[in-house]
Amino acid sequence: MTIAAAKIVGPEIDWAGLSPLVAVFGGALVVLLLGLARSRALREIVVPALSILTLVVAAGLSAWQWGERTDLIAGALRLDELTLILTVLFCVAGVSAILLSWRHVAPREAAHGEYHALLLTSIAGMIVLVAAQNLVTVFLGLELLSIPLYVLCATEMRRASSLESGLKYLVVGSLGSATFLYGLAFLYGATGATDFGDIAAALRGGGDLLTDPLLLTGIGLTIVGLAFKSSVAPFHQWTPDVYEGAPTPITAFMAVATKAAAFGVMLRLFDVALIDASVDWAPPLAVLAAVTIVVGNVGALGQSSLKRLLAYSSVAQAGYMLAGVVVASRLGLQATVFYLAVYLVMNLAAFAVIVAREHETPYGDDIASLNGLGASRPLLAWPMTIAMLALAGFPATAGFIGKFYLIDATVSNGYTWLAVFIVVGSMISLAYYLRVIAAIWMTPDEQIAPAALTSPDRPVLAGGSDEATALRGQGEVVAVAVVFGALTLLLGIVPSPLFDVVRDAGAAVGLL
Amino acid sequence: MTSLKIFAWLTLLAPLAGTIAIGLLGRRLPGRGAGYLGTAALALSFASAIGALVSLQGLGEEERQVVAVAWDYANTVGVDAQLSLLVDPLSVFMILVVSGVSMLIHLYSIGYLDSDRGYVRFFAYLNYFVFSMLLLVLAGNFLVLIIGWAFVGAASYMLISFWYRRGTATRAGIKAFVINVLGDVGLVLGTFFIFKHVGTLDLLGTFERSKEAFEPGNADLTAGCILLLVGACAKSAQIPLHTWLPDAMEGPTPVSALIHAATMVTAGVYLVARMHPLFELAPTAADVGAIIGCLTLLVAGTIAIAVTDLKRVIAYSTMSQIGYMFMAVSAGAYAAGLFHLMTHAFFKALLFMAAGSLIAAMAGQQDLDKMGGFRRALPFTYGCFAIGGLALAGVPPFSGFFSKDEILLLIGDRGGWYWILYVAGYVGAFLTGIYTFRMIFRAFFGEPVPEARELEQGHLHHAEVHTNPATGEVEDTDVGFPGPDHHIAEREPSMKLAMGTLALLAVVGGFLQIPKVTHVIDHFLEPTFHDSALYERHPSDGMLAFGLVLGTVVALAGIAIAYYVWVANPGLSARVRSRLAALHTVFVNKWFFDELIDALVVRPSRWFGSFAQQTFERVVVNGVLVGGTTGVVKAGSSAVRAAQTGFLRYYAALIVLGMVVIGFYFLMAA
Amino acid sequence: MTLYLSILLFAPLAFGVLGLLAPPRAAARVALAGTLLTAAYAIAFLVDFDSSSGALQYVTDETWIAELGISYKLGLDGLNLFLVLLAAVLWFACTLWASMRDYDKPRLFFFHLALAETAVLGALLAQDLALFVVFFDLMLVPFFFLTGIWGGAKRVQATIKLVIYTLVGSLLMLTAAVATGVLAATGPLDLSFAFSDLAQRPLATTSQYWIFLFFAAAFLVKMPAFPLHGWMPDGYRNMPLPVLALFSAVLSKVAAYGFLRICLPLFPDATSHFQTLMLLVALASILYGSAMAFTTTETRLILGYSSVAQLGFITLGIFALNPEGAQGAILQAFNHGLVVAPAFFIVALLAERAGGSEDIRDMGGIAMRAPALATMFLIVTFATLAMPGSSNFVGEFLILLGVFKSQMAIAIVASTGVVLASVYALRLFIATMHNRTGPAVESRELSLRDGLVVVPLVLAIIAIALYPQFALERSEKTVAGDAAPSALATQPGSGP
Repeated sequence: MTIAAAKIVGPEIDWAGLSPLVAVFGGALVVLLLGLARSRALREIVVPALSILTLVVAAGLSAWQWGERTDLIAGALRLDELTLILTVLFCVAGVSAILLSWRHVAPREAAHGEYHALLLTSIAGMIVLVAAQNLVTVFLGLELLSIPLYVLCATEMRRASSLESGLKYLVVGSLGSATFLYGLAFLYGATGATDFGDIAAALRGGGDLLTDPLLLTGIGLTIVGLAFKSSVAPFHQWTPDVYEGAPTPITAFMAVATKAAAFGVMLRLFDVALIDASVDWAPPLAVLAAVTIVVGNVGALGQSSLKRLLAYSSVAQAGYMLAGVVVASRLGLQATVFYLAVYLVMNLAAFAVIVAREHETPYGDDIASLNGLGASRPLLAWPMTIAMLALAGFPATAGFIGKFYLIDATVSNGYTWLAVFIVVGSMISLAYYLRVIAAIWMTPDEQIAPAALTSPDRPVLAGGSDEATALRGQGEVVAVAVVFGALTLLLGIVPSPLFDVVRDAGAAVGLL
Repeated sequence: MTSLKIFAWLTLLAPLAGTIAIGLLGRRLPGRGAGYLGTAALALSFASAIGALVSLQGLGEEERQVVAVAWDYANTVGVDAQLSLLVDPLSVFMILVVSGVSMLIHLYSIGYLDSDRGYVRFFAYLNYFVFSMLLLVLAGNFLVLIIGWAFVGAASYMLISFWYRRGTATRAGIKAFVINVLGDVGLVLGTFFIFKHVGTLDLLGTFERSKEAFEPGNADLTAGCILLLVGACAKSAQIPLHTWLPDAMEGPTPVSALIHAATMVTAGVYLVARMHPLFELAPTAADVGAIIGCLTLLVAGTIAIAVTDLKRVIAYSTMSQIGYMFMAVSAGAYAAGLFHLMTHAFFKALLFMAAGSLIAAMAGQQDLDKMGGFRRALPFTYGCFAIGGLALAGVPPFSGFFSKDEILLLIGDRGGWYWILYVAGYVGAFLTGIYTFRMIFRAFFGEPVPEARELEQGHLHHAEVHTNPATGEVEDTDVGFPGPDHHIAEREPSMKLAMGTLALLAVVGGFLQIPKVTHVIDHFLEPTFHDSALYERHPSDGMLAFGLVLGTVVALAGIAIAYYVWVANPGLSARVRSRLAALHTVFVNKWFFDELIDALVVRPSRWFGSFAQQTFERVVVNGVLVGGTTGVVKAGSSAVRAAQTGFLRYYAALIVLGMVVIGFYFLMAA
Repeated sequence: MTLYLSILLFAPLAFGVLGLLAPPRAAARVALAGTLLTAAYAIAFLVDFDSSSGALQYVTDETWIAELGISYKLGLDGLNLFLVLLAAVLWFACTLWASMRDYDKPRLFFFHLALAETAVLGALLAQDLALFVVFFDLMLVPFFFLTGIWGGAKRVQATIKLVIYTLVGSLLMLTAAVATGVLAATGPLDLSFAFSDLAQRPLATTSQYWIFLFFAAAFLVKMPAFPLHGWMPDGYRNMPLPVLALFSAVLSKVAAYGFLRICLPLFPDATSHFQTLMLLVALASILYGSAMAFTTTETRLILGYSSVAQLGFITLGIFALNPEGAQGAILQAFNHGLVVAPAFFIVALLAERAGGSEDIRDMGGIAMRAPALATMFLIVTFATLAMPGSSNFVGEFLILLGVFKSQMAIAIVASTGVVLASVYALRLFIATMHNRTGPAVESRELSLRDGLVVVPLVLAIIAIALYPQFALERSEKTVAGDAAPSALATQPGSGP
C-alpha cells in the first residue's frame, strides 16, 4: 500500500501511443463545435464526414502503432495489439454507424453535432476501457462509453419507444456500473492493488487468498457488472427492449462495439489480472455462458421484430464468446477476439439491411419488411442472407470459422460440454435465422404501393417517421450492407489475415 | 475356344438376340413376322444344342465337363464369380429338352396368339424366357445360376401378367414373382453356407472341395442344402411354395405349356440333380427333398380330382408329376428323374396345347362343367389330348409309363422307409389315371355342348361379350389382349405341326430307356454323375417285373374308375361328392394352403405396414422425435418471452435474483 | 495428361457464377455446359485411374488455415472414385432435365444447383476432416434454397424441417471433428485434421465412443436411417424433382461414404464396439422402410422409403467390417444412385400422364400406349429390387455375404428385405403401368426430350449390370485397407 502510494509521480506521456485516443477525443470536440454552425450543409454533411475522417485517422494511427507494447500514463493504460485491434473494430463500427445514420432521423432530431460528438466520445470511452489495466481507468472507461450511449438511444425524441429505451438503458446500465464499481472496490480491498499486474502478482502467490470472501465477492460483483454490459443472461433483459427502441444505427453500434468493449475488458480483467483465480471464476462464468446461449437462442425464436431477434441473437453470441473467456487460455483469448471481429462484420451487414428496409417499407423492422427481397433488391437480399447464414455458423462464412475456433479453444481446454452447448445453441438458432432467409427468398414479393409509404395510418415504428418517405436513394446504407456481406464471405474463405492479427493480440497479452 | 463352347454360347445367345431383335423391330415386321422371327431364333438355338451334343459326344468320357468363361463378373475380395458356363451331359440334356420343346411351343403360338394385340411383346418375352432358362441350366457357378434362376422368375412374371389389364393376371403375376424371389433368397443363403466352407462359387470347384470341406452330415452343409431346396421348391411349385402355380394359369395357354409345365417348373429338379455331390454329403436334406416330393404328388393329385378349371387340373397334375421327379432326384434316381422330366415335357406340353385348342373352341371358357362332347368337333385335338393323357397316366407303351416306372423302381430299391414313397408313388399313379381321364371324358365324351355343335356345323363359337374366366369381369377388348378371336389346332397348321410332333415324341419318347433293352439316358448322363454313389444300381428282375405290371394295372384301374364315374353312369360323381362332402371341400379348396399362407405371412406383414404407416410414423417419428424436441424449445421460448415484460421492476427482480445466486455461489466457494 | 481435382471441384461453381451473370435465357445452357464438362472431366479421372494401387491419387495438399491445422487436401481412391463419377453424371442428367423445363429465376436456380455440385464433390474428395465438415454442411445451403424457393406447396416448413434435422447432425459432427483433431494432437501447435495424420494418431477408446456417435448421428440423419427419417416425407414431397433425384441419389451416399472414410479408419475401437448397434439400426431401416414403401400410395414416398431400405443395406455392408461388406456397400451406393435417379424421373413422367397426380391410386394402365416407357420402368424396377443379373444384386450379394460372415443371424433376417423389396417395387410398377386405366390417365409414349435423360441412365444400368467387375476392381485395393482397422479391433489378430 504505502509503496503504491509513494510511487505516485507525474507520469510521462507517450503521445504516439495515445494518438488514436487523442484523435478521437479531438474529433469529438471539433465535431461538437462544428455542430453549432448555422449552415445546414456544414452540419449535415461536414460533421458526419469529419467524424468519419476522425475514426479513419484513429484506425490508421492504430495500424501505425501496430507492434508497440508499452504502458501509457504510468501503467494506467496498456498499448498492445489487443488494444489496437479492438480500437480498429470500434472505429469500423463507428464509421458504419455514421453511414447508416447519414439520412436517418436520429441525428436530425438530436442535432448532428451532439449526435456525432456523443458517438465519438463513446468510442473514446471504449478505447480507454479496453486499454485500461488499472481498476480506476477501467471504471472511467466504462462510464465514458456508457453515458453517451444512454443519450444516443433517446435521440429520436419524437418517438416514445426511443426515449423509453434510453431511460431503460440508463437505469439498468447505471445499476450495472454501480455493481461493477462495487466489485472493483472489493478486488482492491482483497488484493490491495488497483493495477492489473499487481493484482495478478498478489494472486500468484496466495493460496488462501483465492478463498478469501472479499476477493470472491469482488469477482462475483465484477462478473455481474460486466454481464450487464455484454448482455449475459440473466442480466440481458434490457437488451431486446433497448435494441428495439433505439435508433437502428445506434442499435447496430451498440450491438457490435459495446460488446467488443465489454469482452475486451473481460479478457484483460479475467485472463490477465485474475488469471490465477480462474478456479474461482471459471466455473460460474461457464455456467453463465451456457445459460446465456440457451436463453438467447430460445428467446429469439418467436420474434417478429428483426431488431429484437438480433438482440436475442446477440445475447446468444455473447454466450459463445464468453466460452472463449472461460477457458482462460491464449487460444481462448484469440478465439474470442476473432469472434468479436467476425461478429461485428456479420451484424453490421444485417443491421444495414434493416435500416434500408425501414426506409423502404411501411413495416419498420418487422420481418415482413424483408418479404420478396430476393426478387426486388438482390443487393440487400444477398448480404442479409449471408449474414444470417454466418450467424447460424454455416461453412464458407466467417461465422463458421469463428465457431470452429471457439469450439477448438473450448475443447482443447477440457470444456467439451460447453462446446456441445455452443452447437446445440446453433441448432436452435437455425430456426429463426432460416425464418429470415425464408422471408427474403421464399415469400412472395407483395409490391408496396407508393401510397402505402405516405398513408397516415402507417405504423410509426423506428425510422418510420415522415422523413423516411423522403429518403429514396440510400447508397451508403446499401454500400455498408454489401461491403460487410462480402467481408463475411471473404473471411470465411481466406481467414488467415485475421488469424495473424489475432495471434499478435494473443501474444501481446502473453498468456501461457 | 472349342466348337463345343461355341455351340453352347450360340444356344444361349440365340434367344437373347431374338428378344432384342423382336423388341426393337418387331412392330415393323408384317403380320406374324415376330412369331416367325422368334421361332427361327429358337430353331437356331435348338440346332446349336444338337451341335453341342455331337461335339460333346466327340470327347472322351472323362473330359465331358467343359467350362466356358466369358469374363470376370464379380471377382473380388475372395469372391470368384465369373460369367461362366458349365457344359456337361446334364446341361446338354437340359438345353436339348428346353430349346426343343420351346421351339415347338413358339411354333404353336404363331397361330394361337395371332389375333392378340400383344403379339410382338409375347414373342419377345417368350424368347427372353428361353434365354433365361438356358442360362440357368448352363450356369457354371452359383452366381450365374442364381441370375438364370431369377431371370426365369422374372420372365414367368411377365408372361403370367401378360394380359395386364386383368386384375387377376397382375395379382397372379406378383404372387408368382414374390414366391420366386423367396426361392432366390433361399438359393443365395444356401450358397453362403456352402461358400463359407469351400471358398469358391464355381460349381465344379465346389464339388471337388466339398469332399474334404465337409464330413458327411455337416450341419452347415445340411442347412445350405435345405436352403437350396427352398429355392427348388419355389421354382418347382413343391409344397408349401406351390400356391403360385395354379394362379399362373392366368397366362396365355402356350405360356402354361412352356413355362408352367415343360421347362421352368422343372428347374428345381435340375438343381437337385446338379447339386447331387452336396446332397449325397447331406443325406438329411436329400430325404427332406424326397418327402416334399412325395407329399406334393399326393396332395396335387387329390386336388386335381376336385377342381373343374381345365387348365388348373393340368397345372395340379404338373405339380404332382414334378413331385415324382423331385422324389427321384432326391432319392438318388437321377437319370430316372431326368428321364421323366423329358417325357413329361413332351406329354404335358402336348396336353396344354390340346387344352388351349379346346379352350379356344369354347371361346375362352375353361370350366370343365361347361364342356363336353367335343370328340367329333375337335378330332385332332382329341387325339393329341388322348395321347398326352395316356402318357401322363403311365399306360404302356407311352413314354410316361417307362419314366415313372423307373423312378418308383429305383426308389423301392433303396429299401428301408423308402418303401413308403414307393407305395405313395403308385397311389399317385392311380390318382393320375383318374383325374386325367376325368378331364378327357368330361371334355370330349357325353352330350356335345352348344359350342361343340356350332363347331360341328363348321363355325367357331364366339362370345359376344368377353369376360375374364376367373372372375367374370368384362375384358376391355378395345385393348385387344386377350385377343378378340380364337384359334383351334384344326384350323392352324402351325399349331397342328407343333402338336403332332409332340404327340409323336410322347409316344416314342419312352423307348430311350426301356428296362433291360435301352439305356441311352443312363449312359449319356454317366459322366456328370460319375462321382455319385447312388447312380449305378441294378434292382432285381422280380421287382422290375412286379413294378411294370403294378404300374400298368394301377393306371388302367384309374382310367376304368374314371370311365365308370363320368361316362358309364353320369351323376354318380355328384352323389360321391355329397357323400364325401368334407373331403371334397378340402380338395377343392386346395387343402387351404392359400388361406394358411395368407394368415401366416401376408396379413401380418400388411398389418405391420399399416401400423408403421398410420401409427408409428405419426406418433413416434413425427410426434415424439420431432414434435417433442420442438415442443420443448417452443415452451422455453415462450417462457423467455413471458419474462420479457418490458417493465423495469420485473427486470430488477430478475437481476437481484441473478446477483443473489451468483453471490451465494461465491460465498459457498469461500 | 495431368488431371487436377481442384478443377473438377470448382468447375461447376465457376459455371454457376457465370450463369448468374449471363442473361436469364442463357443460364440453363451455361449450367448444362458446366455440368457436362465436369462429367467429362470426371470420366477422364475414371479412365486415368490406376486401379492397381489402393493409395490416394491426384492428391492436392495445401494449407488452408494454419492456425487450425486445416489443410485443403483432396484425393481420389477406390472409396470415392465411383461416387464422384455418380455425382458428376447425375448432376448433368438432372441439369439436362431441368434445362428442358422452365423454373422462374432460372439464373438463381442453376447457380444453386451448381453450388450444390461443388459442395457434394468437395465432401467426396476432401481428405481433411475439417474440410469434409465444411463441404458436408455447405451441401445443405443450396438444397435449402432449391427446395424452399422452387419446391412444392408446403415447401418452407419442409425445408426448415429438413435443414434443422440434418444440421443437428452436422453440428454435432462439427464438435466431434474438432474434438478428433484436438485430442489427437500432441500439442496445440501440431493440430492437424488430415485423415492421413489422424489415422496415425489413434484416439483413446472412451473418446472414440462419443465422437463416433456424433458422426453416426450426422450420417444417419442424412441417409436417412430409421428412426431419424422424420424430415424425409415432407422433404421428398416438396422438393422440385431434379433436386429430389439428386438428393436421394447422391447426398444420401455421401453419408454412407462418411462412415467408410471417417468412422472405420479413424475410430476402429468405437466402430467395432457399436457394430451390432449399427447393424440393428440398418436392419430396422430395411424392414421399416420396406414396410412403409409397400403401404404408402405416394409415388415419391414409395421411392423415398425404398431408399431408406436400400441405405439400410449399404449401412449393413459397411458395418459388416470386412472387405466383402465394404465392397458391396460401395458398389451398392453407386448402383442405388444410378437406379433411383431415373426412377424419380419416370415417376414424374407418370404423374404427367396421370393428370398431375403423384398417387398410384390415380394411375394405372399407362403401359398401354407407352411400351418404351414401360420397358424403361420395368428395367429400373428390376434393378431397384436388386434382381440377380442387375449390378444391385452383386452389391447386395456382397453385402449379405459380408454380414453373413460377421453376424449370420442378422444377414438371414436382412435377406427378408430382399423379398419385401420385390413386393413394393413390383407394386409400384403394376399399380402405375398395368391394371385398368386410372381416372385421369392418358397414356403417352416417352417423348424424345425425356428419353434424352432417361434412356442413357437405363443403358448405364444395363452396362454396369453386365460388367460390375469394372467398378469392383477399381475399389478392391482401397477397400481391403479401409475395413482392416475395425476388423482388427473386432477380432484381434485376424485382419483381412
